Amino acid sequence: MSSGRSRFPGPDRFEYLQALVTEFQDTDSTDAKEQVLANLANFSYDPGNMEDLRTLQVTELFLDMLTEESENLVEFGIGGLCNLSVDPACRDQILESDGIALVTGCLSSRREETVLSAIGTLMNLARGAGPRAGSSPRERLTDPAVLQCMLRFSLSHSTRLRNLACVFLQDCCTPAQVERAQRQLQDCTQTALGIPLPQD
Amino acid sequence: MAAPSGGSSWNPVEVHKHHEQRTVCHTRPKYREGRRPKAVKVYTINLESRFLLVQGVPAIGVMTELVQLFALYGAIEEYRVLDEYPAEEFTEVYLIKFQRLQSAKVAKRNLDERSFYGGLLHVCYAPENETVEDTRQKLQERRRFVARIMRNKARESDQTEDDKSKIPRTQNVSEITLCEKKKWKDTSQEEEESLNASYLSSYPFLPPPPQEDVYRPSSFSEQASSSSSFVLKGYQRNMQPAEDNMGSTYHFVDTGNNEPLPSKVLQSPHGNPASSNQQRKISHPTTRFIPRTTHLENRKRKIEEACQDALLGIVEKSETLIGPKLPQPPKMDMEDASLNITANLIRSTMAKVSSVPEYKPAEKKATTPKPRRRI
Repeated sequence: MSSGRSRFPGPDRFEYLQALVTEFQDTDSTDAKEQVLANLANFSYDPGNMEDLRTLQVTELFLDMLTEESENLVEFGIGGLCNLSVDPACRDQILESDGIALVTGCLSSRREETVLSAIGTLMNLARGAGPRAGSSPRERLTDPAVLQCMLRFSLSHSTRLRNLACVFLQDCCTPAQVERAQRQLQDCTQTALGIPLPQD
Repeated sequence: MAAPSGGSSWNPVEVHKHHEQRTVCHTRPKYREGRRPKAVKVYTINLESRFLLVQGVPAIGVMTELVQLFALYGAIEEYRVLDEYPAEEFTEVYLIKFQRLQSAKVAKRNLDERSFYGGLLHVCYAPENETVEDTRQKLQERRRFVARIMRNKARESDQTEDDKSKIPRTQNVSEITLCEKKKWKDTSQEEEESLNASYLSSYPFLPPPPQEDVYRPSSFSEQASSSSSFVLKGYQRNMQPAEDNMGSTYHFVDTGNNEPLPSKVLQSPHGNPASSNQQRKISHPTTRFIPRTTHLENRKRKIEEACQDALLGIVEKSETLIGPKLPQPPKMDMEDASLNITANLIRSTMAKVSSVPEYKPAEKKATTPKPRRRI
């Protein structure tokens, strides 16, 4: 891990990341856009890069991607957010720029990977909102609509989705909240049935 | 319909989309090309898993070999053939569960696309085999890992600032040992979240490692007579745990133990209290890593110094020697400078000659014709 960091010393790495961001903003080719976005999202996995990426405002870049039409861009963007949001500073950045609404929007994506990343991001964000419990971000994270979504995911056919939703319900919500959401879900079962689950 | 909360790990054998090998991307510009050709794909912790799916294993009964190969990267908890998994003809598909996520990651990176008994392995993560608990642990591990790296990074930058303001060396060392202790603690599968700083401060500080020190100043040995050498030996016995370098600094309590020592020296009639005290003070903060060879050389130098003293007429028979000497051939003293130089020259030449591997026997074997057998 540490050897990997020392291979690219600080300044070089920052310049490289900056070049990536610049290319992403300048290019018109969708291929290049996707490749660079995937690169940035994968670089976000390494804690050694998080500070640089934060400085380059890559969190904003990822958040912007969530409203794109291309499903690939959305998937890579939310993947990057899922990777970055582990870092407390990045997490706060997402919370400050009102990322929660955008991320919860990804829960209704047809792609499983996108939904999984969205749940992962929400879990990380919930951790950040913890100390300020009762403040608005926290409330929005455990919004009944989000909880109902998680409840439905926890019945999903996909094991990964089921597991992640279970962890979210158990670790990020209070039992009372879950129970209330469950009641609400039962009350309007007919309407909830119409929402499609993610593909595959 | 209730969701199976536990989720048995080996039941469903399904083909998932993330098992497919994506087509490699060839349109990347040079500066973005990695060392290996790769598809455009984003990895998150959700995709990673302790479970690896290995496709393309030749169906020639090489399960043991496969498992041995994967075990090189970490302990394997479970493995099995997935007979039901749709595989290419004459190949098998295996599911391997590692004990640790890190092992699975390294194994995947190194063994994907590796040729194995004539087949090309395709290794991918199989997180759909996880239980809820597996998933939770995986996420926790990731959070801990990131927190640790960030903390280390913060400390690194702190230290570079601190170095300018000259922080005492010993504190750094104890910090490093602390950090190592923490690493070990984190890697062990502990449930508790060790993110808060109170954990850091609550951890007992280890005593600084033993110091390579001049406990026997030359001024001291100059004065040495039989009685003071006894004191010296007592001193050494006192310091024995500190001298123990092989990881068992366990018994070594602290530098506080040393405090009464100067007074002891003071009491000894022949000691030179002032100078030895000073020496101790100077040598006190120099705790740093010294390579073993340097260590041995230092020791040798000290012994030689003592020998010089002996040549000056001060003989100290009770010189105790701890630890091995530097490996060197026994030397004979020719009792003359020029003779010694000649002897050294011959010795080094001999060493050079003897280090060259001998070819002669092989050559002889090659040249001597095999005696023909007569029929």
